[in-house]
Amino acid sequence: MASQETQVLDEIIAANRRKMLTLGVASLAGLAIAGVSAPWANAQTVAYTDSDILNFALNLEYLEANFYYLAAFGTTIDVANAASTAAGALQITLSGTVGTPGTVSGGRQVPFTTIPVASYAIEVAVEEGKHVQLLLTALGSSAVAQPAINLGSSFGTLAAAAKIPNGASFSPYASDDDFLVGAYVFEDVGVTAYHGAASLLTMSANLITAAGILAVEAYHAGLIRTTINYIDPTGASIGGYTNLISTLRASLSMAGLLGVAPSPYDSSPDDYGLADFSVSLAGAPNATATRLTDADPTNVVAFARNTTQVLNIVTGGGAVNGTTAVSPAVGVFFPAGMNAGPNGFK
Amino acid sequence: MDNLSTLINRRVSRRKFLAGVGVGAGAVATLNLSACSSSTKPTTTSTPSGPTDADVLNFALNLEYLEAQFYLYAATGSGLQATDTTAGSASPYQTVGTVTLGNAAAVPGLTPAQQEILNEIAYEEQEHVRFLRSALGTAAVPMPDIDLSFFGPLAVAATITTAATGAGSFNPFSSFDYFLVGGFIFEDVGVTAYSGAAPLISAAGVAAGYLTAAAGILAVEAYHAGYIRTSLTGRAIAAGSEAAYSYLGAANLVEDLRATLTIGDSAAPSTAGSVETLLTLPPATTPASNTTASSIVAASPITAVGFARTVNQVLHIVYGSPTVGVASGGFFPSGMNSIFATTTA
Repeated sequence: MASQETQVLDEIIAANRRKMLTLGVASLAGLAIAGVSAPWANAQTVAYTDSDILNFALNLEYLEANFYYLAAFGTTIDVANAASTAAGALQITLSGTVGTPGTVSGGRQVPFTTIPVASYAIEVAVEEGKHVQLLLTALGSSAVAQPAINLGSSFGTLAAAAKIPNGASFSPYASDDDFLVGAYVFEDVGVTAYHGAASLLTMSANLITAAGILAVEAYHAGLIRTTINYIDPTGASIGGYTNLISTLRASLSMAGLLGVAPSPYDSSPDDYGLADFSVSLAGAPNATATRLTDADPTNVVAFARNTTQVLNIVTGGGAVNGTTAVSPAVGVFFPAGMNAGPNGFK
Repeated sequence: MDNLSTLINRRVSRRKFLAGVGVGAGAVATLNLSACSSSTKPTTTSTPSGPTDADVLNFALNLEYLEAQFYLYAATGSGLQATDTTAGSASPYQTVGTVTLGNAAAVPGLTPAQQEILNEIAYEEQEHVRFLRSALGTAAVPMPDIDLSFFGPLAVAATITTAATGAGSFNPFSSFDYFLVGGFIFEDVGVTAYSGAAPLISAAGVAAGYLTAAAGILAVEAYHAGYIRTSLTGRAIAAGSEAAYSYLGAANLVEDLRATLTIGDSAAPSTAGSVETLLTLPPATTPASNTTASSIVAASPITAVGFARTVNQVLHIVYGSPTVGVASGGFFPSGMNSIFATTTA
């Protein structure tokens, strides 16, 4: 991959993409094919490097991996215990040094009562741990430190904001069903974040890897949505909660556009729960379909979000003040904000 | 470097991608930060040679025609509307193909919940066809000939029929469980095909949104694959054992066959160098004492990064042939409508 030829190609792509980023949404409008735009260009003109983008992803992977490690094993990613060792989960050496190291608060092992959900939790934990390790290794001395992460009260805060019944006391560690709801909070967000990042990465090798991680996040999201749908196909309980969570995420995401009108592709809402919808199949209207895929209902392309949109979701609205991006964004899962390089994230 | 040599180098590098990206990128995930920061390097505004963005998207369109026909027939007993299969006026391919149905029909005996799931996947693949055709405009290739009776021979080649259902009887349209195995044949392949294609898109195509669109469709294919693999795993757990739910083993036999068909991907599934992850079942134990992960995700066991396949690797699978120089076969009895239609490696 490092041949001179690919190097040249990479540089051409890099130059063009960076140019695109500084053009802003108005200039891009004339280039876009029907209904499609490069999403991260919408609301920002920050020229992130590949290192910045991967560090943004690393913050999200710290969050996800610690959640799943705690739920599956009862420990954080940097401390091995009997359960994590038996499952073959990596013990992560927290080698990132950029920014301010923080601690992980809240969270505990879920008392699983079903084999499928228990084994799914272990699988996702193991895979998210590998993503953390991959990014730490790739970034080397540029890697950000693990920031302060709140995996306790933040779920209740978000659940209450989403209007889940008794949301303020919601804990994703109480039962199999509650764990699935907690996982639901993260997975589709990971998809949209990697999707948003894809068109910004300048190195082909990084793009391929990001596409591969994007796929894994979507596998996870498909796994979680499928399992919730099997447990509650009518939306009476946890299936219904997915609609409330998606509505909240869509609202936070929309605010993250900072008043810039979304392209048709970044439609509002940009998030759908598991409620059925009506489709036309082979020319016959009014077939009822599940929504196991979180994608725009017309083109069925998954949503993409820029950094501000993602930050506003994982900080519970901390990234936006009116039509201005707040940096650092602070709140819920990231009580001291994400760790970033000198330019920060917004 | 002057523009001419830049162009030549660029063409070469894109060809190298076509031949090798799946193995290098899928099996061994790489991240490279060493050369990503300069904005003063030479640029060119010339049009690149070699495969165009339209060629890449049309390759994907061929695959979407196949998936859409399979899922639509399974869900409804009908296929794509004629208006969704026509040739764009500027396409070098002008003949609209036909579908050899074989056993294709609406899957019987579905619960309402299962029917709704089939409806969703069918709708989403149908819309992918429409979306790609819309993006391609007059460059859209027409639907090629598609053979939905190929599931039978494929299953025989995979030895599924003897393992699960008796020789020659595999029919993905006969029940929900058989349908899951039929969907399994396509879904992980769709994910890896888009992963392999993403880096082929040009800088202009990136600016125009093609890469974002391809990545978004990639994600949807992975949602589908996650659904299929979760369902097979969950139903096997409910049945109590792998032996009690032969469809799980059938899916794994599909993975074995795909690996065998694919030159450059001959490693057995779930071993180093493979782009396949076998489905596994956690042992029958109490949930509290379970320490075994499921294997819903198809990804590198080292890095948990999803796999990519080259155009050639995808062709070998959908043609059902490991041979170099083959331009048709399997699900595409007259070949794909694509400049990539012939296996070259």
